[in-house]
Amino acid sequence: MLSSIIIVSVLGLNLGIDFTGGSLTEVVYDTVPEKEQVENTLTEAGFVGFSVRESVDDAGREAYIIRTKDLTEEERGTINEAVLGIGEAGEVTRFTSIGPVIGQELRDKAGWAIFGVVSIIVLYVAFAFAGIGTPISSWVYGGTTILVLIHDVLVPTALMSILGFALGLEVDVLFVMAILAVLGYSVNDTIVVFDRVRENLKANRTEHKTQSTEAGIIKEEVTYTLNKPYEEIVGSAVQETLARSINTSITTMVTLLALFFIGGSLTQAFSLVLLAGVLAGTYSSICIASPLVVTYAAWKRKREDEILNN
Amino acid sequence: MNKPEEQTSEQSQSFLRWFRVAIVIGLVVFLGNSIFQNATTADADRPFKLGLDLAGGSHLVYVADTTGVDPQEVPELMNVLRDVIERRVNIFGVSEPIVQVESSSFVSENPTERLVVELPGVTDVSDAVAEIGRTPLLEFKLFSEELASEQEALSGLTTLASTSTTTVDEAGNLNIDSEVVVDTEERLPFVDTGLTGRYLETARMEFAGSNSGQLSNEPIISVKFTPEGSDLFTEITRENVGKQLGIFLDGELISAPVINEPITGGTAIISGSFGLEEARSLAQNLSFGALPLPIELQSTQTIGASLGAEVLEHGIKAGVFGLSLVIMFMLLWYRLPGLVASISLLAYVTIMLGLFQWIPVTLTAAGLAGFVISLGMAVDANVLVFERMKEEYRNGATSREAATVGFSRAWSAIRDGNITSLLSAIILFWFGTSLVKGFALVFGMGILVSMFSALVITRTFLIALPEIRQGDGTLLAKLFNNGLNSGRKVTSTDKINS
Repeated sequence: MLSSIIIVSVLGLNLGIDFTGGSLTEVVYDTVPEKEQVENTLTEAGFVGFSVRESVDDAGREAYIIRTKDLTEEERGTINEAVLGIGEAGEVTRFTSIGPVIGQELRDKAGWAIFGVVSIIVLYVAFAFAGIGTPISSWVYGGTTILVLIHDVLVPTALMSILGFALGLEVDVLFVMAILAVLGYSVNDTIVVFDRVRENLKANRTEHKTQSTEAGIIKEEVTYTLNKPYEEIVGSAVQETLARSINTSITTMVTLLALFFIGGSLTQAFSLVLLAGVLAGTYSSICIASPLVVTYAAWKRKREDEILNN
Repeated sequence: MNKPEEQTSEQSQSFLRWFRVAIVIGLVVFLGNSIFQNATTADADRPFKLGLDLAGGSHLVYVADTTGVDPQEVPELMNVLRDVIERRVNIFGVSEPIVQVESSSFVSENPTERLVVELPGVTDVSDAVAEIGRTPLLEFKLFSEELASEQEALSGLTTLASTSTTTVDEAGNLNIDSEVVVDTEERLPFVDTGLTGRYLETARMEFAGSNSGQLSNEPIISVKFTPEGSDLFTEITRENVGKQLGIFLDGELISAPVINEPITGGTAIISGSFGLEEARSLAQNLSFGALPLPIELQSTQTIGASLGAEVLEHGIKAGVFGLSLVIMFMLLWYRLPGLVASISLLAYVTIMLGLFQWIPVTLTAAGLAGFVISLGMAVDANVLVFERMKEEYRNGATSREAATVGFSRAWSAIRDGNITSLLSAIILFWFGTSLVKGFALVFGMGILVSMFSALVITRTFLIALPEIRQGDGTLLAKLFNNGLNSGRKVTSTDKINS
């Protein structure tokens, strides 16, 4: 997790035009002109600050991807004319131009969407596990879920950061969707484990009822004591859900692998990010979430003992 | 003593269980068939709707300039704007264009109003952009007798000039004359009044007499000016009673009613011998003479049709492959229950595809990818239940008991996990731009349908299976055992321990 943070903060993320604004033109040729020729033609046409990258389209034809600042309709026409004038049987297969305002807004929206999803998850977990009470409150489960989610999002983000650094891969809207899908997957995984903890807690506790009369009102207080150490309960819950966690991640990963290898170039990065996220999600629900709640419970007990002793 | 009765009730129950299975299978097959028909027939009522990135086409985003407009009026103006643009796009002859208003959400610092135009199949956007960006000009002009007589005189020159040109070819003077000739042909004898579509608030088609109670069915156009325009209009009509007021759209004279009296109050009636259709289109032209808000093209996205088709083909391939892998895994791991899970996964695919057609959901590359991944996640509820069944079964429960208990025990995990995912999907849908919305919709639907397929379809099948106990020697029992014990031999010590 720490290494993920370091990677992301050092290498940064390669934001695509979805977020920064700019234009992207993909032109496919039967016989490609030299890259320099493309660059020269564009310079002659009056463009500055563009980049030309070699690429191959899904049908295996050679192509160039040209990036510039966002373009007006006339500028688009100029680029088209320039690149189609060279090479053989050129065809512009993709053109995108996004104004900087839309890019900025998309960035804000993505941030808010992730924030919103995370908050609703913590609220729901705290609510669904309310009444679990002993030995730690349902908010701890909610908080732990968040920590686990942050971990699961950081791992694929770090991967993306490395890929961006090494291969020039850009963060686009698809990446944000992949991250959000990872959030959904990861929380599901963690909840399954916690659900089992909840069930085992209920099965292994003894109820104590104490009644007291205060000013004529009968107050009933219910407290629980556990028949087994908390660590053991959590441990068996993890063990019992292990097969399920592994099986579900296998079925999810085979579909992701199918998407990665034969799903086409458009969603390749998307499936790679998801693969990393699913792996991280499976690992974290088993190896991070449960130790965290156990550690917290131990720390809390120690503190309570200290208070009692004082 | 009651043995025969028990047997018949057991028989009828078993019949009922299999009857349910038959209904489920029948429904799924029926749905599958209708999807196939819809997808393969050319003129189907409900074909799959492909997004621009799969079908190819253009996606244009315009931003509307709302400065100086009362914020409360903005939504109304945007709707008018959408109607105008929609009309223009329709003129352009694109099949199923989408024109929609999109407001930047409250999270954005500077709220902007946008118009999103999607043109399926159009990859050369220059014509479309020109058509959309066209600003028709509405003008009111007065008929001028001076100009008319001047032009008449000039048209006299026309004949002169044209004859002159034939005789004297290179005379400079005559050339100038001929230019004037061209000019008079284009310009009608009207002078500008300064009153344009800018001052128009609304124009409606009405029927003469509908206000005064007279019986008349003559269509008329009722025009309402803005306060400014109203003043200007009053002034013009006061000074020019008896003259013709020409109404021009894009420089073309569409009507020239005579001013009968000075008109105050900002409304005018344009009467003439209009036909019904003529009046309606005139009212529309007047209303939409100018865009209510200026717009500017902010982003363009064009995807070639061949690229889209390739993406679609790859996506489908990946889906089929992924589906087979998941089914293979489930069969190997869980055997008989795995087969049940596979059937319910196929039902999941069928129902999802059916929903895509019926809602209809516009499929994008991202949506397709989301759907492929959901194939892997959809079996999760099945896996949860099977793992629970395994425990019960090992503890000596019969297959049917294990199934019932398995479902009820796994329910809380399935519920909590799916509700959080569903909440995420809803938030995504709420926040997202159109691209994210499509993904969120597929994601959310996938959650609901996978829950349905596990809780209803898998359950129906598992309970319909004949009662199986550990140690039964039948083939079915062996398959069931294999799946739920996954290679682990149940020994007597095991039983004692558990």
